[in-house]
Amino acid sequence: MKCFPSLPLLVLVGILLLPASHLRAPSEAEGNVAGLESHKQTDASESSRLVARHVALQHQLAQQAPAGHYIVVDTARNRLSIIRRQEVLLTALASTGSGTILNDPDRPGTRWIFDTPRGEFTIQSKLTNPIWVKPDWAFLEEGLGIPADAEQRLEPGVLGDYALGFGKGYFIHGTLYARLLGQNVTHGCIRLNDDDLQRVYQLSKVGTTVMIF
Amino acid sequence: MRFFWAMVLAALTWATPPSTSGPASQTGNQARDPEGLREANRVLEEEIRLAAHPQIYLLLNLPDRSIVIKGRGIELRRLPISAWQAIEERAMVGVFRLRARPQVARPKAAPLDDPAQDPIELKDMPVAYELLFDPTLAVTVAPPFQDRPWLWAMGLMRDSWTKTVSWIRSTAAPDENASSPCLRLTLSVEAAQSLAWSVTDGMPLVIRRTTPQ
Repeated sequence: MKCFPSLPLLVLVGILLLPASHLRAPSEAEGNVAGLESHKQTDASESSRLVARHVALQHQLAQQAPAGHYIVVDTARNRLSIIRRQEVLLTALASTGSGTILNDPDRPGTRWIFDTPRGEFTIQSKLTNPIWVKPDWAFLEEGLGIPADAEQRLEPGVLGDYALGFGKGYFIHGTLYARLLGQNVTHGCIRLNDDDLQRVYQLSKVGTTVMIF
Repeated sequence: MRFFWAMVLAALTWATPPSTSGPASQTGNQARDPEGLREANRVLEEEIRLAAHPQIYLLLNLPDRSIVIKGRGIELRRLPISAWQAIEERAMVGVFRLRARPQVARPKAAPLDDPAQDPIELKDMPVAYELLFDPTLAVTVAPPFQDRPWLWAMGLMRDSWTKTVSWIRSTAAPDENASSPCLRLTLSVEAAQSLAWSVTDGMPLVIRRTTPQ
């Protein structure tokens, strides 16, 4: 018994006909020469209005770009660039967050995710000869207890000659491990080699936009 | 069995990319295409609103076949789309926000581990996945057939199923408010992984649609 002998055909025809619903009907002005001329003039003025609007909107969008230098960090490719208008002033190999998770064995539920934050930030501080204030996770990673004395957290000479803070304890800084540049190995900060770090320090000021993706 | 073959045939018919045969770029035709200009202007208006805030957003440009990662209206990175297909493209208006970025297995560090040992890298990101947005929009990403045939076929089957459900739903209850637009993107392995890497929870997305020629 064949209930639906041509079901595949129907499905196929139905699917092929579906896009036809998107086709527009011919304009009523077609076939009427006078109407067509008037229609063309209206179209032309409408097009000019749309083009003018388009140019104005493009200009308005361009106004949203940072006025001076800005920093762009590509965390997938571990690249940092400094750009002014459309001119790339510097492209540097960087190291960004490893994405790993560290659980605190003594405090269940406490954990750190070592990602470089994404989004738009601004340079909030510029430091020379920075001293690293080691957070709790740095001691846990080394298998050490967390010190009660704040002075024991200070570690000079590991962040390079400069550090630029962009919020929530994240910095652009130097590294002792230049061989790892280009890899996702940090705890969220952005590492650069000494020369690039110096250039970033010179070209940036407090308030410089940092876009990280 | 006949129904099965009908579905396979339907899926293959659906899988032929009519949308991808559209114009590679509409910029040249814009001046003569009022609909294209209206759409471009609509997208620019959305972008101006997004670019006014410190955030990274996505522009999915279907006529140009590209995904652009942007901040403050500036192009940060462009990912090419090999092919695409859309259901209810007309409904892809406004700003969509990503519910959650694709899952990735994060390595867990332990005390005394070397953080550089096992970081997350771009190659760890998925190549076939689904991005769900609010308001309702599903974007499925799959690699080209020649790169990963199995994942391509899986994506095609999932997409055909989504389309069938959508079609049944719209036929059973033709309600304008119940639209569920879907987009299937074919991206190279590198582009798919880069997109999965770059998206963040809540990231805004604007889509520039094609216009009837």
